[in-house]
Amino acid sequence: MELWYTHLLREKLDQDSLLVQGNRASALGALDAGVRFFAGYPITPSSEIMETMARELPKVGGVFLQMEDEIASICACIGGSLTGEISMTATSGPGFSLMQEAIGYAIMAEAPLVIVNVMRVGPSTGRPTAPSQGDVMQARWGTHGDHPSIVLAASNVADMYRLTMAAVRFAQRFRTPVTLLADEVVGHMRESFSPEKAGRYRLSSGDFDFTENYAHPDLVREVHPPHQLGAFRHPHVTGLVHDETGFPNNDPQKSAEFLRELHDKVAHHRDELCLYDVKNEGRGRVCIVAYGSCARSARAAMDLAQHEGLPVEVLHLYTLFPLPVEILQRVARRVEFILIPELNLGQYAREVRKMAEQWTTVVSMGKIDGTLITPRELVDRVSDLVGKYENV
Amino acid sequence: MTSALDRFLHTDRLPHIWCAGCGAGMVTGAFLRAAAKLDLQKDTTAIVGGIGCSSRAAGYLDFGTVHAIHGRALAFATGIKMARPDFTVIVFTGDGDGAAIGGNHLIHACRRNIDITCILFNNSIYGMTGGQASPMSQEDDVSVTAPYGQAERSFDLCRLTEAAGATYVARGTAYAGRELERLIRDGVRHKGFSFIEAVSQCPTEYGKRNPPKGAIAMLEDQRDRSVGAKEAAHMTSAELEGKLITGLIYKDESAPEFQESYQRLLERVQQDSDGGS
Repeated sequence: MELWYTHLLREKLDQDSLLVQGNRASALGALDAGVRFFAGYPITPSSEIMETMARELPKVGGVFLQMEDEIASICACIGGSLTGEISMTATSGPGFSLMQEAIGYAIMAEAPLVIVNVMRVGPSTGRPTAPSQGDVMQARWGTHGDHPSIVLAASNVADMYRLTMAAVRFAQRFRTPVTLLADEVVGHMRESFSPEKAGRYRLSSGDFDFTENYAHPDLVREVHPPHQLGAFRHPHVTGLVHDETGFPNNDPQKSAEFLRELHDKVAHHRDELCLYDVKNEGRGRVCIVAYGSCARSARAAMDLAQHEGLPVEVLHLYTLFPLPVEILQRVARRVEFILIPELNLGQYAREVRKMAEQWTTVVSMGKIDGTLITPRELVDRVSDLVGKYENV
Repeated sequence: MTSALDRFLHTDRLPHIWCAGCGAGMVTGAFLRAAAKLDLQKDTTAIVGGIGCSSRAAGYLDFGTVHAIHGRALAFATGIKMARPDFTVIVFTGDGDGAAIGGNHLIHACRRNIDITCILFNNSIYGMTGGQASPMSQEDDVSVTAPYGQAERSFDLCRLTEAAGATYVARGTAYAGRELERLIRDGVRHKGFSFIEAVSQCPTEYGKRNPPKGAIAMLEDQRDRSVGAKEAAHMTSAELEGKLITGLIYKDESAPEFQESYQRLLERVQQDSDGGS
């Protein structure tokens, strides 16, 4: 598939790459991925995604709706999704909280949709213009009930573009909501990127080419037959536990099977869903496991530490959930410490610890003052860990 | 036993969950007769229900049906209508679903004047959850969450929706099924947001704590309290105390409908961007 939207934009600007803001890159990725339905409600620091969609969607005949609140926004997106539209909304922590009930509905009804959450410091109104990664566990467990989640995390402007595309692809293939997490810094920074290069993504976990064949990808086999309004004869869609007919089914065995299948369709495809990159593989006693803006600091810290004679491995996670179990355990087996910098008090570190602590020491490095973790802070922490080890 | 209306029903889903004497089946019956007169097409009609007794109607109807989440049927329906302007979109909601938790979506759907027909079954009580007070419970009504009587006032939903911008506003009753059928038929035909309050009875949860007792007495009460909108125009507010103003209450065919306004916006923007590039 041609990246016709950004292609047009670049032709107009006569440039190979684009200098854009992270939030805008997310909107461009959505447009290139075929999103033609957006419903949202303004909230800092995500509003530029909505503003870009308001400007661009009418040009391509898409639907843009500013709804009365975030609940209405995600519900309108589900309505659009039920007719076969690829729909998307964008928000930040407080709005994401309001969307949670409907996210559960979309999981149960297998309605594909993309939610971008540009995180800010919370709880409550918190610090709307300061970055945070405080919604990691909300993205995993925010809606009620036992449910699977697909959660991606962007660390730069190119990520905002390509991971929005990845989110669209996964939402459609797995017929479930996909959350893309960013933080205020990633959402508001401006960087140049080439859509073509960003679309062809070479990672340790495998190569991704978003530039072709993702507009209507094949469904994974565990997905139940879609119940799309208008596409075939009069379906019924419900948030109640149902069976493949779409109608409620309270039979204990059938309802357990149905719920199990919702989990399986994600769990069975971790290879495809878990995007990550390993740098300095096998070189160093410490591995920094990082995502989002912290992964930028981790990569810079790796170079800085190398310069200071302290080799460090970095595992950059683009997919937080489903949990990339295999790579985390592989890393855990070969290093003495896993260091996890996060703009929260160790939400993801707890997840990693659960599966890695039998092989290694998992150290959480949390920061909640609304500023980024610097490469210097990371290198100091690494040398502290290694030094302590040597003094034992 | 079959009827001509069976073609609109998932007969394999019957019997329905409603209690004996409930008005929800009567309102749904009025809708089915209207659907037959309108010759609603199953493939291009979307019926969206929220959560509650009334919203369960969607699950028995053989159209494209969505059983949404509590209070949000109109938000789902807005997404469906915007994505598929060719669809006839109808929302089934109740007084709890539509006037309490979904009240914000109700007034904004009115404001947009989007071409959706909203049928609100008003039985003055939360039936499915066991008889709690609703915003449509009347002062002094007894319920399990107002055991000493309701201290709050209720809405006049027709005045509310008219003020919020709905362009077709009507009230009917389960008792007057033929009139309700006509009101629904005309509401679906109307281009714009149509709000139809269908006054209904819940003998199980409302009737057991409040007079009059029993479904028949409750239906007779609907009849006795009904005053046609034309007649009501000549009555004083004192005379209208406790009455139900029924029939077509407000209609405006000149106000712009949202979906059409949006289509015009798309055409304008696309012309401009074609010219500009």
